[in-house]
Amino acid sequence: MSSKPQIKLDKVKKTYRIGKIDLEVLKGIDLEVEAGEFIVLLGPSGSGKSTLLNVMSCLDVPTEGHVYLDGQDVSLLNEDQLAGVRGRKIGFVFQQFNLLHHLSALENVTLPAVFQGRSESQRKKRAADLLESVGLGERMDHTPPELSGGEKQRVAIARSLINDPEIIVADEPTGEVDTDTGKKIMGILTDLHEEGRTIIIVTHDLELVDYAQRVIRIRDGVLSEK
Amino acid sequence: MIDDYFKIALKNLKNRALRSWLTVLGVVLGVFLITSLLTFSEAIPRAVQEMLRQIGGDVIMVMPGEGIDISTYIGFASGLELGNEELEAVKRARGVDIVLEMPFQAENVRWRDQVETVLVWGLDFESGLEMIRDDMGWRISEGRYPRPGRREVILGQLIPRNFFPGIQPGDEITVSGRKFTVSGIMQSLGHRENDSTILFDIDDYRSVTGTREGTPVIMARVEQGHDLNVVISNIERSLEDTIARRRGEDSPSFTVLSSDAMLELVDTVLGAIQSVIIALSLVSVLVGSIGIMNTTFTSVNQRVKEIGVLKAVGAKKRDILAMFLIESGIIGLVGGLIGIASGISFAYFMAYLVNQNPEMIVEVQVQASPYLAIFAVLGSLFLGVVSGYLPAKKAADLNPVDALMYE
Repeated sequence: MSSKPQIKLDKVKKTYRIGKIDLEVLKGIDLEVEAGEFIVLLGPSGSGKSTLLNVMSCLDVPTEGHVYLDGQDVSLLNEDQLAGVRGRKIGFVFQQFNLLHHLSALENVTLPAVFQGRSESQRKKRAADLLESVGLGERMDHTPPELSGGEKQRVAIARSLINDPEIIVADEPTGEVDTDTGKKIMGILTDLHEEGRTIIIVTHDLELVDYAQRVIRIRDGVLSEK
Repeated sequence: MIDDYFKIALKNLKNRALRSWLTVLGVVLGVFLITSLLTFSEAIPRAVQEMLRQIGGDVIMVMPGEGIDISTYIGFASGLELGNEELEAVKRARGVDIVLEMPFQAENVRWRDQVETVLVWGLDFESGLEMIRDDMGWRISEGRYPRPGRREVILGQLIPRNFFPGIQPGDEITVSGRKFTVSGIMQSLGHRENDSTILFDIDDYRSVTGTREGTPVIMARVEQGHDLNVVISNIERSLEDTIARRRGEDSPSFTVLSSDAMLELVDTVLGAIQSVIIALSLVSVLVGSIGIMNTTFTSVNQRVKEIGVLKAVGAKKRDILAMFLIESGIIGLVGGLIGIASGISFAYFMAYLVNQNPEMIVEVQVQASPYLAIFAVLGSLFLGVVSGYLPAKKAADLNPVDALMYE
């Protein structure tokens, strides 16, 4: 393991204000993630696991404490700087796929590269290769409504890879697909891990624990690792 | 990058084709109103100016009625007339050289076996021919000028073409049972209606129309060496004296103007009309603008989650802002282009309809202004971007986490 963690959380607290009540979702979390780890973050709903993932993936900033990504304190960045970091370093896979319905599979995959200013030919070439690699070479011109749940999630995975990020975060990636398809998707994520990427999966599905190198449990905003 | 946003914006608009077109329609209506009304209303002063320009600067016009009556200026259609007393009063005024009455009326005119209703003008050939030649630039294209007291007439340019095909100088026409000889045919005066008249000597005009007096306008030429404005006040005083003597009162019921002053008046009156038109059109543009804002707000609200996804995968505020502004800008631009095209076409159509009306003495000639077109295109693009700004800003400022969770 390298001396400097890829992601480091230092006494991270996240508090939401709902009406007049302050709800502390993350209660001072310390966590280090090394490059190339495969982590499953396990917890019941309302445990704060999604909030933790959001903070780790630069979608959100902590109320207190610090988040370091490759040594950089990202908790000090503004929204646009965070967007830049996400675009370059992190690939997102969502439970509900979150594809744009009126764009083709290929266009959906290329989208994150648009914001990085890649040329169109570059983007299309890479997107086509990625769709090919997830077995959707024949379905590139189809729009999401024409694709099955498993196909949509594979498009989403291809999209997460377009900017070649070091970290892939997935929030319940198998939540909306059947068991077999879920296994295929986990297979793809395992392949990506073997390529050297850090994989962080949030789930309440205990079966996914089998794929993990490291399992982190969260309950009531506090971690317990085993 | 911008071209990518453009493509994405177009896809989004196509995705909501009906709503997009309805919003475009809102813009079209505003721009249509502005361009059609402005283009058309600009043509009216041009038509009146054209008519007045033919009259020299040292010609004074006396018209019945006081103050500014717009119908007086567009076609002398007020219906009021000046009588012989007024004519004599103008002649008595100091500094007046030639004084002409120019009455007109529609009459049945026969040539060979054909009878047509034609507008006939009366003009004192004795003193007036010189003035219409030298000060108003009327020219004979065929034949010669008529001689006074010889029952001769001249035809407008369009009489042989539209009324009596084949008629030529030397032919006889009959009006009210009296025969007249065509001495010549005039060159075009530039207006269809003026070119469709027959010009009679004033005494002949009076006898064929059965009128003793009355003219909608009296023209007076200023004698050399006299000041235009002094002569105008001389005429006014002379008319006031006449009317005071006649009625025992001193309420003036006439207007004395130089042709330049009349041009100014026309400009003032039509300028006021145009201001009202512009104000009304701006209201319709405002409505179009609210339409764009409404559509863009709806679009933002419907796409909160999508915006969250775009932000998650690396879109910055300015990227989101640009995407929505391009969308609303396209709506504005397309609306503007269609509005201008239809507005200008409609102005031409209105002019066509107006020119069909035989009572219009001036011909309205519409000219599409390239400045107006450019202004309207850029204006509607600007309108789209400005109207889209608030909703686009709202989209750009969405928090990615909240937006992603939005259902």
